[in-house]
Amino acid sequence: MAVIYSVLRQPLIEGDKSLAQVTEDVCSAVASRPTRMWWTAFLTAFTVLLMGTAAVSYQLATGIGTWGLNKTVGWAFDITNFVFWIGIGHAGTLISAILFLLRQKWRTSVNRSAEAMTLFAVMCAGLFPVIHMGRPWLAHWMFPYPNTRGTLWINFRSPLVWDAFAIFTYFTISLTFWYVGLIPDLATLRDLCQSGLRRWLYGFFSLGWDGSYRTWQRYETVCTLLAGLATPLVVSVHTIVSWDFATAIIPGWHTTIFPPYFVAGAIFSGMAMVLTLMIIVRKVMRLEKYITPRHVDAMCKIVAATSGMVGLAYATEFFTAVYSRNPYEEFVFLNRALGPLAWGYWIMVTCNVLIPHLLWLKKLRANLAVVFAISIFVDIGMWFERFIIIVTSLERDFLPSSWAGYAPTAIEVATLVGSVGLFFTCFLLFCRFLPVIAIAEVKGVLSYGKNTQGVHS
Amino acid sequence: MSRRLFLAAFEREEDALGATQASREYGFRIVDVYAPYAVHGMERAMRLQPSRLPWVCFLLGLIGATFKVWFEYWTTWIDWPLNVGSKPWDSLPAFVPVTFEVMVLLAGVSTVFAFFLVCRLIPGKKPTLPIAGITDNRFLLVLEETDAAFDPHRVRRLFEEFNAVQVEERVEETR
Amino acid sequence: MSERRPIVRETTLEAFQKNPSAGNERPEREKEDLWPADHPYTGRRWGMVIDLTACTGCSACIIACQAENNVPVVGKDEVRRRRELHWIRLDRYYSGAGDDVDVVQQPMLCQQCENAPCETVCPVLATVHSEEGLNEQVYNRCVGTRYCANNCPYKVRRFNWFDYPRDDRLQNLALNPDVTVRSRGIMEKCTFCVQRIQEAKIEAKRRGEKLADGAVQPACQQSCPAQAIIFGDLNDPKSRVAQLAASGRYYRVLEEINVRPAVGYLTVVRNRVKG
Repeated sequence: MAVIYSVLRQPLIEGDKSLAQVTEDVCSAVASRPTRMWWTAFLTAFTVLLMGTAAVSYQLATGIGTWGLNKTVGWAFDITNFVFWIGIGHAGTLISAILFLLRQKWRTSVNRSAEAMTLFAVMCAGLFPVIHMGRPWLAHWMFPYPNTRGTLWINFRSPLVWDAFAIFTYFTISLTFWYVGLIPDLATLRDLCQSGLRRWLYGFFSLGWDGSYRTWQRYETVCTLLAGLATPLVVSVHTIVSWDFATAIIPGWHTTIFPPYFVAGAIFSGMAMVLTLMIIVRKVMRLEKYITPRHVDAMCKIVAATSGMVGLAYATEFFTAVYSRNPYEEFVFLNRALGPLAWGYWIMVTCNVLIPHLLWLKKLRANLAVVFAISIFVDIGMWFERFIIIVTSLERDFLPSSWAGYAPTAIEVATLVGSVGLFFTCFLLFCRFLPVIAIAEVKGVLSYGKNTQGVHS
Repeated sequence: MSRRLFLAAFEREEDALGATQASREYGFRIVDVYAPYAVHGMERAMRLQPSRLPWVCFLLGLIGATFKVWFEYWTTWIDWPLNVGSKPWDSLPAFVPVTFEVMVLLAGVSTVFAFFLVCRLIPGKKPTLPIAGITDNRFLLVLEETDAAFDPHRVRRLFEEFNAVQVEERVEETR
Repeated sequence: MSERRPIVRETTLEAFQKNPSAGNERPEREKEDLWPADHPYTGRRWGMVIDLTACTGCSACIIACQAENNVPVVGKDEVRRRRELHWIRLDRYYSGAGDDVDVVQQPMLCQQCENAPCETVCPVLATVHSEEGLNEQVYNRCVGTRYCANNCPYKVRRFNWFDYPRDDRLQNLALNPDVTVRSRGIMEKCTFCVQRIQEAKIEAKRRGEKLADGAVQPACQQSCPAQAIIFGDLNDPKSRVAQLAASGRYYRVLEEINVRPAVGYLTVVRNRVKG
């Protein structure tokens, strides 16, 4: 039977794979023993995680005073890390949900890992609102439950309460979406495994999936519904996070541009992190035929586009401050560019606005080493963006008498690094035990761009 | 009660799709089709009714949103009214974010639970795969031999046109 | 003080005699509200006026406040890290240059804002507004998110970064039993000496009398040698604080952000001899 390849639509999966080959390629990493590389990476990430845990335990036992905060700068690394991780999570939902609704078939190679990345990023993010509290053992007071204190409810007008609900919803829906997507693949793994604990576990979580098309039809409906729900969630969750700042009154925070600016920034940083992870995964797990340069190309274009949006937001903020003739507003922006944290501001501008636009050049998009380096720069730049927004506005606000500097302590740095360790520990476990590519979805797009002759219609 | 089933396995989605369409044209009763992934156009070929899950989603989202907004008004204005920054009692703009999130949460979770219930997907349930390889690389079309007019040989020849790799007849005990 | 940040305002005696609002010519009007006024002060409304001309910057108010409200001593290292817990502070502003520099000392404390930005953002309702105009901090409820401190434009809120040592039993004899001692992780700030307000109210009720103007004196007012701090009921037109609030010298810091503080200041009037 002859296979004709389309000129306009290139196949998404290279190498003319058959269905059985797809199963084998993706499941081989799960079925076989972990490689030495996996063990090295895992042990490193786990050690870093343990170090972070030690730092956090010390801070919880001793007090927030172990951080570098003071009476003027109440939030620095803690909330920067929170917003950073949540932002990273959004790209995963974009790929799974928004690109699903837009029928972008190329997403099928990366969406499973991207959604897993979202889950782990949200987990890392969710830690920080808890540990940044002065009395985190009372964190449950953030939720309204009947009690004997009145009943004393919560302040629904507070953006932190909006945050609590938003993060909870986002995590639950992401987990649900990811799990529902996993069910057919878990069934595949169940049928591959011979016996033992693994087969039992895959069997348990695959809920007796048997491939019946009546179930598939409902399954597709559910996925569409969840995608339709997750899409506004991406926008709303990071909008709510941006409102932590936008609803405050201090100059530099109190601006209506934050919601679209933060959402664009979240997609920007998240997509860069997806690139970072995918370039590693495809090489190490030998999935180059599934995560092809074409996928990387598409993701790079998203990074470049959102970089433009973020750059435009920086310029708009600056213009608004100058145009307003509000002395406090003008000062904040001058302070960002020329004040004590100017070094951080210029790192942010370079990494977020200047460097990513290199990705408009096709030749650079095809060079995976360059793309990897740029993605790391974006990760760093976006962390600095949140840091600069939070700390410069707090350091120097209305009354000059309260202006104070900020410097992180070793505990804070260890906590940040520990969160990165947590993220990679979880991601490496995911790579080990679950299929990193959505097997069923990829099988569905194998015929993209191909036309096989000899089919009786 | 038992029924006779006619199973045909295919290796490619085009064959499975074609065979399903042909079965419909010939008026055979399709029990089910099994596939390792969702094939574009299969539900049309099988003439499946659209799922009613979107109604569950919409309804429970609406219930969630209504309850939540009522709850916010009740706790802030009626149950224990407190002066918080001189904000007005009717703080609807401030109540919107939480309402929206709870709506999405309830809509999503309830849809998934409804899906599990309707399709009888239960943790730990033992799967009954009619043939091996369904979750890997085999498509299966299952017909029911409804009347004597059903000629297995004719059907077998029909499916050979669609490159069926395995054809068999089975008797199934229905509960 | 720069015209762009009119936090302290000054004038000369000459100008003041000609125009009682001299130096205070940017009276920002209280803005119209978009939202309904659901919280009127029908009874008392506690307020304070601080006379910047009288204030000498002696810091007696700071010490008195610390003693009255069991404010912890954090130690030299923590003060260097900008974590002292003083509920009232003295801000120093300079005008002029070279040898001809003038100083203004401005005591800055919780302004008990009507539209308090700190209250709106507390997730657990640990800071709410009383019917008499006090911004109340509920120590038991505070979980220490520090959002309120971030949102305070005057930066008067203080956080307990550690469990400050209170092991010395002799020192603890000096604690005021009317005021809670706060644990770590809790926000605190000036309360207008709410314990004194409550005590005076209860005493007046016991006697069956109306609470007289001047019956309640917060610790800072009580200890100020220049009597620069005046406290009372803004809703009582005969009270000293209400009369001062109606004078030409009265202004509020950061009036334009519309938080409606209950604390106001009187402009500095300098008696400068010409020549």
